[in-house]
Parts: sequence; structure tokens; C-alpha cells
Amino acid sequence: MRCVRVEAKINAKTILSVIALILAVVTPHLIPEAFVYILGLSFLFIILVVSWDVMVGYTGQVNLGHTVFVGVGAYTAALLQAPERLQSIGVAIPKAPIFVSIIFGGIIAALIGLLIGIITLRLKGYYFALVTAILPLVFMQTVFVWRNVFGGEEGFSIGLENSLSSSIVGKYYIALIIMVVCVVLMLLIVNSRIGLKFKAIREDEELAESIGIDTTKYKVIAFVVSSFFAGVGGATIVLYRITVSPDLYDIPLMLLIILSAVIGGLGTIYGPVFGALIIYLAKNWWLKEILSNLFKIAPIPVNDDIILYLILIVVGVLMPQGIYVELKKRCHEVRLKFEKFSKI
Amino acid sequence: MIELALKILIFGAVVSGIWALVASGFSLIFGVARILNFAHGTLFVLSAYFGIVLVKYGVNDYIAFVLGILFVGVVGVIIFRLTISPIKTHEVMVVIVTLAIALLVEQFLLLIFGEHGISFPSLISGVQNIGGVRITNIRILSFFVAIATLILLEVFITKTKTGKMINATSQDMEAAMLMGIDVDRIYLITMFISSILAGLGGLLYSQIFATTPIVSVKALIYAFAIVILGGLGSLRGSIIASFIVGYVIVVTITFLGARWSEFVMLLTIISILVVKPTGLFGVEE
Repeated sequence: MRCVRVEAKINAKTILSVIALILAVVTPHLIPEAFVYILGLSFLFIILVVSWDVMVGYTGQVNLGHTVFVGVGAYTAALLQAPERLQSIGVAIPKAPIFVSIIFGGIIAALIGLLIGIITLRLKGYYFALVTAILPLVFMQTVFVWRNVFGGEEGFSIGLENSLSSSIVGKYYIALIIMVVCVVLMLLIVNSRIGLKFKAIREDEELAESIGIDTTKYKVIAFVVSSFFAGVGGATIVLYRITVSPDLYDIPLMLLIILSAVIGGLGTIYGPVFGALIIYLAKNWWLKEILSNLFKIAPIPVNDDIILYLILIVVGVLMPQGIYVELKKRCHEVRLKFEKFSKI
Repeated sequence: MIELALKILIFGAVVSGIWALVASGFSLIFGVARILNFAHGTLFVLSAYFGIVLVKYGVNDYIAFVLGILFVGVVGVIIFRLTISPIKTHEVMVVIVTLAIALLVEQFLLLIFGEHGISFPSLISGVQNIGGVRITNIRILSFFVAIATLILLEVFITKTKTGKMINATSQDMEAAMLMGIDVDRIYLITMFISSILAGLGGLLYSQIFATTPIVSVKALIYAFAIVILGGLGSLRGSIIASFIVGYVIVVTITFLGARWSEFVMLLTIISILVVKPTGLFGVEE
């Protein structure tokens, strides 16, 4: 009986995903191009949020430096498209094809993730969150120190001809395909035997260790997977919008990722996809419009960032375990009450 | 050569003194309540902005200075009461929420005051000449105010009854509760002290350097890096660490240029952490 229910649940998710996909394929023909552009970027943002969820939602290790990998992937891809910038430090590499540079963005990010993971994930508790919180700042400083390579605060442009596609609709479809491939791959990983071990670590690290799971090894694996996809996401974003800048390393992006994952529900993959879409579109589309209309009525010192941070604070304080867990708990309570009621 | 060494010694001491104030506040609230208050840097800039606004409206400099510090003390207590204390057991949520508060206030200040730097009027003017190094009086005063405050803090924690209660809570919260200490009150008192330390640091800083809303993140990074280096929860560790950080920064600025300073500082801290993860004087969790 239970098996049937689980299958039905998977089917419901699959059907919803297919419907969402069909919608995503049709949408560019229905809305203006400027919105198509934002929607495409929001797909790439989904990769960032879901890859954060692989580490945080599945192994329970809180990574506050996810933007390190986004930024590393982004700058790697950008430099592979504009290799002449590396000549100032005496490195000569050929210009790479666009898709090679995306994969390389992921690989370099994963290598850095491996290095950081091996050093920091040996220890339990606060330590990992603390060290990862400083890391984005270190990487951001590299942009200012080697200004003629990374372009300082302004970043640099990789040139129109190196973009994902020459048309906005083309870019949109490529972003959609890359997102779907990434999300499906991550789903396969977390639903595999390795994914089960991640979850065991999240539920009880000491218990997992006692039944013979090498917790450090699996935490590092999760971290490398997470950073690989973050790197791919960062690289694709750069090729999508043609410019790279330190905002991809910065704390506001980190908070936006956290907000989306927390709203969608940690450790669910589908939830963060949904959360990312809502939050990214809210930030870049609805909220701005609503606020600019509001300004015409009353000039108050509020912008879209302030509203989003307020949402994050309120959600965080009222539902510290995340909206998804909270709702699930409430639903469960209601169902229990209902079952009791029906027995009578 | 000697002049350069003397310059590094003096300027490093001033910078370190201010960061020691900020970091000791950050460390204090972590040690007592086991929370990482990422809005600490916000309290640092808020005091400066509040003081500057008061001066603009014609309040006496000294009164504005004191009011600015008290104001952030109250803001800190409000932040603790409304946002931190309901979710105290979810450590990471505390980090996320306080970080969101920090960025929210930063955006708010940017909208109201803009991104250009502003300064609190110097409480004293004049320049001293120490062995050929010219240094403003306000820098010397800042150093001594910082040191005096840290000594006062140490005396307060080790000698007074409230201080001892704070110390007891930081050592073992449950045992302190069993001894009849009102732990929630102690948290609020500690948060107040922690916030006014940040506020004092911010007002001293804004008399020497220009304060912008973005400085809040910088102050947070410094406080955070120093506290990790010194060892979470160790007050003395963070004071020693702030001098290490202060001198690393001044030496880097002198020999490599200002843009290298934060990079070198953070790299130093990370390399120390790789070797000794609990920091220099860390307490075991």
C-alpha cells in the first residue's frame, strides 16, 4: 500500500515538472523579450540555489561561502573567453569554445571546493560555517588586488560575440537546457546511495560514523558536487549576460540564495527550484515595479532589497526551520486531527 | 628606517585599539549567549550616523558622542529581543537573520545618506610629533580610550557582581540558571555592553576615517576575523588577535599598498586556522 503511494507521489512530481517544462518552452513566445531575458537568468539562479541545497539541505553542513564557487566559475569562464587579460601576468592560453569554458568553470570551482572541503570538513560544528563565511571576502579581494586581470569593481565584458547565443530567445533556451540538465543530475545524485549517506550525516553525524560511513569523505563529496554545479551556474551566467563582476562573489547574492532555499524548503531540490524562481523574479521584476508605483504615491526610503531582507528576517524568526518543514509539520498535525476525527 | 618602524608601531596601535573594542564586543556576546551576531558591524556604523545627525541638529559634540553610543546599546537590545532570542537555538538561522539585518540597515543608510563618506567632528584637535612621526591628537586619544575601556571591561567582568554573573553564564548556562541567575536578563545586559563597545568603536573610527554605510560590512569582517583568530569566546584572545590583525594591516599597507591589506589579513587568518582550527586561545565546544 505504501509503495503505491510513494509511486503516486513521484508521478505527481513528474507530471508537475513536465507541465512546468512545457510552460517554460512556450513562454518566450508569449511575453516581451525583456522579460524573457530575466526569466532565462532566473533559470541560471535556480542552479545556484539547488547546488547550495545539495550541500546544506542534504548533509546539514551550512555553507555560507557558496558564492566563492559561483564567482570562481564565472571568472574562469570569462577569462577563457577573454584570454588576452591573462597576458599581463604572463599566462598565455588559447580561447576556449563556449561550452568548454562552462565545464571548466565547474571543474575549477570543484577543485577549489575539494581543497577547502578537505581542510575544513574534518571538523564538526561551527567551524565550517565560520570559515566559509570569510572565504567570499578573500576571493573578492583577489578581484581588487589583480585589477588588470579581473577588472576590479567594474568587472569586464567578454564581448558580444562570445555570448551563449546571438538572440535573447536562443540564450533563454540554452539556459533552460543547462538548468534542466544540472537539476536532473543533482536529483540523481541525491537519490542515489551516495545521497542516502548524505542524509544519514544530516540526521546524526555520530550515528552515521558509528555504522561505518566515512562522514568526512561524504561531506567532501557533497561539497565538491555542490561547488561544481555552482561553478557551472556562475560560468553560464557570465556567458549569458556577457559581463563578469565581483557581485557574483558578494554577500547579497549569498543571502538571496539562502532566502530562496529557505522559502522553498531545504533538502527537497524541487522546493529550491520553486523558491529560486519566485525570489529571483520578485527581485528583478515584480517588486521593482510595485515599489516604483508606490514611490509615486509616497516617497519612502524602501527598495526591493530591503523588502527581501525583511521577508528573510520575518521568515527566519517565525519559522527557523524553513517554510517547507513548518508547513509539513502543520499539515501533519491537521491530518492527525482529521484521522482521529474520522475514527470517532 | 627607525622612523618607519616607529610609524608602523604607532599607527598599528591606534587601528588595533579600535578593532579590539569592536571584536571584544562580538566575542563577549558569543561567549555568553553562544550566538554570532552578524549585525555587530551595523551597530558600529549606526552609532557614527546617529552621532553625526545629532551634531547636525546642533547637539553638543560630547553629548552627541555619548548619546550615539547609548542609542546603539538600545538598538542592540531591541535586535536581540525581537529577532535573536526567539531563534537562539538555531545557530545558523541567527547568522542568516542578523546578516539580513546588517544588509537591510546598509541599504537603508545608503538610501538616506548616500554612499559618500561622512565624519564625526573630532573631539580634540592638534598634532603631536613623536620621534619624527606626526600623529593627530584624536588618534592618540582613541588609543587610550580604547585601552581604558578594555581595562574597565575586564574589571567589570572579574570584579563586579553582574560581571561575575555574566562570566558564570558564559562558562555554563545551565549551572548559572540553577544558581538562580536570571540568564535572559544577563543576555540582555551582555548584548547592551557588546553593542556599546561596537558603538564606541564606530564613533572613534568615524573621527579618524570616513564612515560610509559599506563600512558596516568591513567592521563585521574585521571583528569576525579577529574573533575567529583569537578563538571564539575568548576575550583576551580577541584583544591579542586584534593587535596581530592591526599590525598585519598597517605593515601590508606600508609595504604593499592599501589594496593588499584585507587580502593579506584574511589569508593570514585562514592559514592560522588551517594549522590551529580553534584559533589562538579558543575554548573547546
